[in-house]
Amino acid sequence: MNARLLAILGCLALGACGESAKAPHWPPFGGDPDQGRVLVTRASCGACHRIPGVENAHGEVGPPLAHYAQRTVIAGMLPNTPQNLTYWIAHPQAVVPGNAMPNTGLSDQEARDVAAYLYTLR
Amino acid sequence: MKRWLIPGAVGLVLGYVLMGLVVLAVVEFGLFDVRASTPHKRIVAWAAHKAMIDSMRLHSRHVQPPERFTPADVVAGFHAYDTHCVMCHGGPGVARAAWVKGMTPSPPYIVDSARFWTPAELFTIVNDGVKMTAMPAWGDTLGRGRVWNVVAFLEALPYLSPRDYDALRRAKGQMGPVFTGPKTAGPVPAQNG
Repeated sequence: MNARLLAILGCLALGACGESAKAPHWPPFGGDPDQGRVLVTRASCGACHRIPGVENAHGEVGPPLAHYAQRTVIAGMLPNTPQNLTYWIAHPQAVVPGNAMPNTGLSDQEARDVAAYLYTLR
Repeated sequence: MKRWLIPGAVGLVLGYVLMGLVVLAVVEFGLFDVRASTPHKRIVAWAAHKAMIDSMRLHSRHVQPPERFTPADVVAGFHAYDTHCVMCHGGPGVARAAWVKGMTPSPPYIVDSARFWTPAELFTIVNDGVKMTAMPAWGDTLGRGRVWNVVAFLEALPYLSPRDYDALRRAKGQMGPVFTGPKTAGPVPAQNG
């Protein structure tokens, strides 16, 4: 077994044991994930999305949000960065007019908090 | 057998008295946080949600839905929904009113409620309301016929796109978001309702 094959197998093994290996680590962007979790209940996100760590969040209207930190593209439109995710959460109708996700009524700070919570879903 | 009977009975009674005192203390000293601005504790949230589901299932057993719903029922249901329900429950692409996020429990978006509840259960929820939430018993004001129309609309709702809902609103004469196609961002409404 040569060194190159070992290196490839080693990388595969690492990929298999940690989903979090694929999710970027964002520097702090001013979002509070604990407050974000409260806001997720407040805004009734769970009525449309399955969201780990939130009670009664088993909606099937939109995609599940498990491992959201790994999601590369938001709503098929925006690269998943804190700024884009905050914007999407606050103004989904501006990003994809006519999509089924309503404007959430969350302020920019609240959207930032929700984004911070979603980034804990590694 | 008789040895433990009396101490057992005394212990049982004392246990119940103690539980009653604890409940009284929680009520009297305001130990249960009733403020809507703070979320339920997780165990309370689980219990309240489960109690609601199981209670609705029990109380809807005697309810007989109509044979079938007609398109006219669905449209009549849309009118009632758009007038009375959308500000709390939203719709496909339609936001709830701004103050709704201050409610505990939060009225859910019910776009796919028909996937989770039977028609009889939906009828019971709408007709009889839900205690300790802001969900009224609409049967009082709308009457059973209109409530069944709303159920008909809820059955159709998972199949209505945001454009369909918007078209229904415009036919009803409501202002709504203008969807001009995927490349153009139309004006975004401040809030609905």
